[in-house]
Amino acid sequence: MGHPIVFLILATVAVFAAIGMLTSRNAVHSALYLVLNFCTVAVFYLVLNAPFISMVQITVYAGAIVVLFLFVIMLLGADQLPKASSNGGLQYILAIFATAGLATALILQLSGFGDGTAKPESALDASPEAIGTLLFQDYVFPFEITSLILLVAMMSLIVFKAQKRKKQDG
Amino acid sequence: MIQAIAPFLLIFPIVGALINGFFGRRIQNTGGPNKGELVSGWIGTLMSFAAFGVAIALFLALRNDYGPHIVTLFDWFNVGDFHVPWEMQIDRLSSVMLLVVTGVGSLIHIYAIGYMHGDKNFARFFTYLNLFMFFMLILVTGSSYLVLFVGWEGVGLASFLLIGFWFDKNRKIDGVYEGVLNSNASRKAFVANRFGDLFMILAMSLMFWTFGSMQFEEVFAAATHGFEAGDKSLPLILTLITLFLLLGATGKSAQIPFFVWLPDAMAGPTPVSALMHAATMVTSGIYLLVRSNVLLEIVRESGYELFGLVTTPELVAMTGAITALYAGLIAMTQFDIKKVLAYSTVSQLGFMIAAVGMGAYVAAMFHLVTHAFFKALLFMGAGSVIHGMEHGHHHLHDHGHGHDDHHDHGEADGHHVVAAAVHGHHDESSHDSAVVTHTAAAHDDHADHHVEDDFDPQDMRYMGNIKKYMPWTTTVYIIGALALSGIVPFAGFWSKDEILAHASFNFNGGDGGWIFRVVTWLLTAAAICTAFYMGRQLKMVFFGHERHEATYHASESNRHMVAPLVVLAVLSLLGGILNFPYFSEADATASLGHYAEPYESCGDGKIRECFSGGHGDSHGDDAHGDADTHAADDSHSDDAHAEDAAHGDDHSEAHDYGINLALEHWLEPALQSFELTEEHIVHLPHTAQSVQWRVAIQSTILAVLALCASFFFVYRGFNSESRKADDIDPLFTVPILSSFLTGMQRLPLDTLYMGVLRPIFNAFSWFCGIILDWDFYHDFVHEQLIRAPYLWFSGFVSKTLDRGLLDGGLVLGVGKLLRGFSGIYKNFQSGYVRNYALGLFLGVVGLVLYFILG
Amino acid sequence: MDEVTIGWYIALAAILFSMGALGVLVRRNALIIFMSIELMLNAGNLLFVAFARHLGDLDGQIWVFFTMTVAAAEVAVGLALAVSIFRNRDSVNIDDMNMMKG
Repeated sequence: MGHPIVFLILATVAVFAAIGMLTSRNAVHSALYLVLNFCTVAVFYLVLNAPFISMVQITVYAGAIVVLFLFVIMLLGADQLPKASSNGGLQYILAIFATAGLATALILQLSGFGDGTAKPESALDASPEAIGTLLFQDYVFPFEITSLILLVAMMSLIVFKAQKRKKQDG
Repeated sequence: MIQAIAPFLLIFPIVGALINGFFGRRIQNTGGPNKGELVSGWIGTLMSFAAFGVAIALFLALRNDYGPHIVTLFDWFNVGDFHVPWEMQIDRLSSVMLLVVTGVGSLIHIYAIGYMHGDKNFARFFTYLNLFMFFMLILVTGSSYLVLFVGWEGVGLASFLLIGFWFDKNRKIDGVYEGVLNSNASRKAFVANRFGDLFMILAMSLMFWTFGSMQFEEVFAAATHGFEAGDKSLPLILTLITLFLLLGATGKSAQIPFFVWLPDAMAGPTPVSALMHAATMVTSGIYLLVRSNVLLEIVRESGYELFGLVTTPELVAMTGAITALYAGLIAMTQFDIKKVLAYSTVSQLGFMIAAVGMGAYVAAMFHLVTHAFFKALLFMGAGSVIHGMEHGHHHLHDHGHGHDDHHDHGEADGHHVVAAAVHGHHDESSHDSAVVTHTAAAHDDHADHHVEDDFDPQDMRYMGNIKKYMPWTTTVYIIGALALSGIVPFAGFWSKDEILAHASFNFNGGDGGWIFRVVTWLLTAAAICTAFYMGRQLKMVFFGHERHEATYHASESNRHMVAPLVVLAVLSLLGGILNFPYFSEADATASLGHYAEPYESCGDGKIRECFSGGHGDSHGDDAHGDADTHAADDSHSDDAHAEDAAHGDDHSEAHDYGINLALEHWLEPALQSFELTEEHIVHLPHTAQSVQWRVAIQSTILAVLALCASFFFVYRGFNSESRKADDIDPLFTVPILSSFLTGMQRLPLDTLYMGVLRPIFNAFSWFCGIILDWDFYHDFVHEQLIRAPYLWFSGFVSKTLDRGLLDGGLVLGVGKLLRGFSGIYKNFQSGYVRNYALGLFLGVVGLVLYFILG
Repeated sequence: MDEVTIGWYIALAAILFSMGALGVLVRRNALIIFMSIELMLNAGNLLFVAFARHLGDLDGQIWVFFTMTVAAAEVAVGLALAVSIFRNRDSVNIDDMNMMKG
């Protein structure tokens, strides 16, 4: 499952990209850090013998989604937000403790999962052909559902906009 | 059949109450204000009549069948082993009560249609009346003390609602709204009744603790069994139970010490006074005690004396007798037409309680029935008079004091004279009855006083010569008054005489002990009082001279009011046939000899007590029976009676007792103490079967004398200036009486009366009214002994316990705690999504930690 | 430390997931909150793929495919909401949206 050096480097990059996304005050910077993070994860997918997913990750996530984000940020001019000063203190402390606690607990408990003997790399044929076969044979029903979800999302956007227009007309 | 129809007794009134309660206002005001009141009123009335129909059907079904019928309606509650079904007990005793309650009640419903005409809460009134009927029927038909108690409380509620019915009257009397006084009266009644109820609950608790049941049959069976087995603690327990039952009855039936609420209850509309505070509700205490006859007789038999002084039956008898005399004395001093009747009711209830205490259960029920007839009649007659006076008063105002009108009854001069008399009335009365007036004023602290001229339509001093203006009312009122006074042959004579005969019979010939002697004399004195105050009332209201202009304009009430009066007058006239005694002991023995079981010879051997072993068919129990006309004819002469008795004798072999002692034969199966007497377990005091001539003649003479005395004394010299010169006292127009009275007039009786008797009477009535009743009883006993500790206690409960501890500590404390807590908790509801998300997330973390670490 | 096991990936995914959660909890910009959610989804996806590799089973990758689809739909609707909220309130600061305040 990859060389430890590669893993550590990629992991470090991923974590720092995440930290950067969280901490930067400029939303555009956040989006760019997110792209870096997604790309790192895409490399992990390659390492993990998932070339198809890796490509999809780069096209859909790093390409479409983050571009959509950037587009909206720039559209709204919401890149620089004023620093709000509401009840931050307790919320911050509790949030940090809770997330740290969760991460610690998960790592301590689950990192020893399994006996460390992964299946050999050859055991997994993850070519686009194999994925396609699986998707359109065993998972054809969920796949159709997914299309339905996308359709509903699309319709909701149209309805949303139509209502807006109607309101403006009225 | 009984099983099927009995529930309808309860269904009809409650349906009526619900219809009028929910839709009454709409029905009443259909087509304009009060345009539909007749519909609303007749719904209530027909429901009452339907219940009466059911009662008659039950009565007919019980004619050949005397066992108690238990009709189970539903399971009330089950707590562990404690199982209380809601059952109706239909037996002959409850059947009598049912007939009285529904019969008299229905007549009063009709009357109320006329009386409440134009009242804006007409439908509400009928709702309450039907509600009262419902609860009264529960009370009467309950098969256990617990169910009885439900009705007991329910009629208390209905009474409370109806006494305070006019709580919104906004006329001011001495600076206080009349409505406030009315609601004070209703609250007084309610609170006074609760004292009695406390003892009822004690009695029931003790009963349950001892016998494990509150069902009549089970309690009586257990008590009898325990007594036969010689249970040592039983007499004490039964004494306490009967004592508590007595105290409970004194609350509801307005006896010493809890009678104070009844006179105040006259604040309610007159149909209410007639229905509840005279005919039915107040008799529930007597019903309770009669129902508990087994317990009382066992106590009497055991001879267990309370504080070593009296047994509880004796205490019951003394309570009733003392109340009878005491209330009778007070009634003589009253000026409010309804209060006279109220105290009279207290007095008559005293007769019944005394009868129960002496073991004369049948006599008590007999008097209960006849009293319901004539007292309802009197109250409704009084209501009719009040109505007429009010009408006259309104007329007076509408027509500018009537000087311009021509009236057939008097010259204009006469009006002036009368008006002057009215204005001089208070000065005039000062020498005659100032103290009495004071008493009355003290009692009548909420009596009506008209704002303009102090006119009070209920004050008998403003009445006089009503007979000229309201002939129907006068006729029936006189019948009622004679019945109450105990004049032959009206109903009251027979029932009252039976009680007196029982008392006298037992102290002359029986082994009743000193108590019968005392009770006899007290009741005789009370009977004299009765005749006197009724005579006084008749004289003041119907005879004499008009003393207020309003009287001239009084007019007869409408037919809704008069019709029931006539029916009740007939019943008051003929009610005596319900329990007609035999006219000689020979008849009695002859008639009953076949079944008699003369187990004990009486002291002088004059009368043998006869307890009938067989329970035959009895006729003419109710005035609705065929015997009506038959008996009416009979009551004209003694010979006819004798013949009738002989006639009854012929039929006796066919288990036909004729009309003699019909009520007694009817009730015998329902009163288990009769049966127990036959089995020699207890010894019920004997009741005379035939007329006790000595007692009858004595009481009749005394009553007639008292009536004459009242007519002679009352208003004599009082208001003399106001009389017109050519006036003749109406009494002096009666042929024979006139010579008698004229003769009496010439004697120095006047001087004797004015100089000696009247001051003594005034002092005595002042003593009774001010010292005994007001200062001692109301001020000292009630204010100091009862009210002050009660106020202190209620203050303690309300201020310290309720407001301090419960409100401050618990209620407000909980509130404060919640407010403080919610103040903290409010911060969580910041409205910021991420706060909620944090909460969610913390929960998730907690769960994850629990699952992976735990 | 000589070989990368599934545990390493679990640890990395846990860290990324927690950081995403932290972002959701502490940031006020609605857009950045959306990005944090994407980060959390990615952590999940990473785990799916790692387990697919570990177990030699392609199903995990299929699920990643579905997750991405749903994430895309979610982002489309979410961003549309953000835009319309911005039009109403001239802000995408979620602290301005506290109508649920008790």
